[in-house]
Amino acid sequence: MIPKQSIDELIYRSCMRLDAKDFSGFLALCDPGFRYRVTAFSPEIRKEMIWLEHDKAGLKLLFDNLPRHNSDHSPITRHVTVYTVERDGDDGNARVVSGLQVYRTTLDGGETTLYAVGKLHDIVKVDGATPLLVDRSVRLDTRMLGIGYHIPF
Amino acid sequence: MSRNAIQWHQKPGFPDTHYVDTAIYTDESLFREEQAKIFGKCWIIACHESELPSAFDYRTFQHPAGVPLIIVRGEDMKLRAFYNICPHRGNTLLYDPVGNAKRITCIFHAWSFDTKGNCTDISRGKEGYQERFKCEDAGLREVKASIGYGGFVWVNVDDESGPLQEYIGDALGMLEEHMSMPLEVFHYHKAVVDTNYKLWHDTNSEFYHDYMHYFNRITGMLQPGYFDRKYTGYPNGHASVGSMSVRYDKYEGSKNRSVGWPGLAPGGWILIDIFPGMTYNLRTSVLRMDTAIPLGPNKVVIEFRGLGLKSDTPAERAERIRDHNTIWGPFGRNLHEDLLGVHGQGIAMREGTDSKWVIHGREENMTIHDEGGMRHFYAEWSRRMGRRANDPFGASPGASPGASPAPAKKLATA
Ligand code: FES
Ligand SMILES: [Fe+2]
Repeated sequence: MIPKQSIDELIYRSCMRLDAKDFSGFLALCDPGFRYRVTAFSPEIRKEMIWLEHDKAGLKLLFDNLPRHNSDHSPITRHVTVYTVERDGDDGNARVVSGLQVYRTTLDGGETTLYAVGKLHDIVKVDGATPLLVDRSVRLDTRMLGIGYHIPF
Repeated sequence: MSRNAIQWHQKPGFPDTHYVDTAIYTDESLFREEQAKIFGKCWIIACHESELPSAFDYRTFQHPAGVPLIIVRGEDMKLRAFYNICPHRGNTLLYDPVGNAKRITCIFHAWSFDTKGNCTDISRGKEGYQERFKCEDAGLREVKASIGYGGFVWVNVDDESGPLQEYIGDALGMLEEHMSMPLEVFHYHKAVVDTNYKLWHDTNSEFYHDYMHYFNRITGMLQPGYFDRKYTGYPNGHASVGSMSVRYDKYEGSKNRSVGWPGLAPGGWILIDIFPGMTYNLRTSVLRMDTAIPLGPNKVVIEFRGLGLKSDTPAERAERIRDHNTIWGPFGRNLHEDLLGVHGQGIAMREGTDSKWVIHGREENMTIHDEGGMRHFYAEWSRRMGRRANDPFGASPGASPGASPAPAKKLATA
């Protein structure tokens, strides 16, 4: 059985690779059937919202297109703490909930501010030699993201 | 050839209507004046009717003229708007952005109001005020509210204002058939940006900036028919952009679109700017509504809404949400680029940066890259402000400060 530490490290590694803009490295941690989404609840309209949704191919296209867009180049840093790992589901996958904070650092001067808080809800495939991400829901508490950002959290 | 200080400040070689002085984006006194003369007079979108579906539902709104408002649905299902200010000691009446309140009770001293704005109870009123002050003296301040044009809730804080229909005129004609069925908001977010609200509305009023969007360069500018789209101006500063005779169904990539929008050609795009800061944007399967609410000369909060049909099946709604968030969500391709643009303008144009002019000089027979949409806006701005946008303080020789240009009736390149 894959030890919990390997599952924790998968989550941490996925964030470190995104921080480093190592997108192919991130996708290498994902199962071919990987699905990704960013969600938030709007109290204003009293509705669940989906702010971004992609399968693995869609994410790859998004990453590949990044150099073609005009974007804010301030790097972001994801701070993650794995809270719970549950493996009692029928599908044999592990369900992982982690706390997420995203910080943004300016290029000019390097000032860091808190950009967003939320949680990662991950589903991890644990039946192979190494764990793989099958599903990631970034659940945002923060809804005010200023001018926005092109790279998914 | 680069320019020296004198040349930098020299008026551009265009007619007065084809450029503006950047003071209109940076000056604090002009901003205060805009609050009174523009936002205090115009019809403004506060929210959408689908956000308050039931009796006693309410929604708060920070009105750009400065006043905090509440929109409440009465027991009679009518929507009314009031100041969110308690007549007693000025407390905020409703704190949450949304909720349901059979009666509105101020938390401070428990004065109560009904959804028609009547004061229904003053705690220990008789004991304290005897006959000197009664509920009849303590009603809420009501402002005009009107529902229309896609089910939006419009408000006007000017008691003397004409009806909403008069304000809009024919400006939303291109969209009317596409908004005849009940709509529903599925996306809402706000962005606070350190820039002037007019710069955001300008971005929504010109397509020349498609150069900024990789996606638009590829799906738009390089496609046949792109340059057929034309601006039309309407009284009160509104303007629309729509296709003349474009065969959007010929577009690659739009063939497999399934949901679309009733009556809209696949790949079609209709954009209508409503003075002074609202934009209807109908594209693919989504209606987007932007509402720009200035907080100062160099600060704006923009409310973004995405709407679908109330009758959507879950599958249809899911497709609209996907169409919306890939382009217009906070992580979308285009929205971030548009906001990055006005954010950059906000850095370059603020008091002390020695920015001087913004040029709206392109003339292309009012087709897509003509800057007549912005000229049309500033003609109305100048009329309402009694100031010329290219010389707001009447500094140039021959200028008569306070002179109002004639109201713009039909959009002209003049
Ligand atoms: S301030 Fe509202 S009841 Fe006193
Ligand atoms: Fe744009």
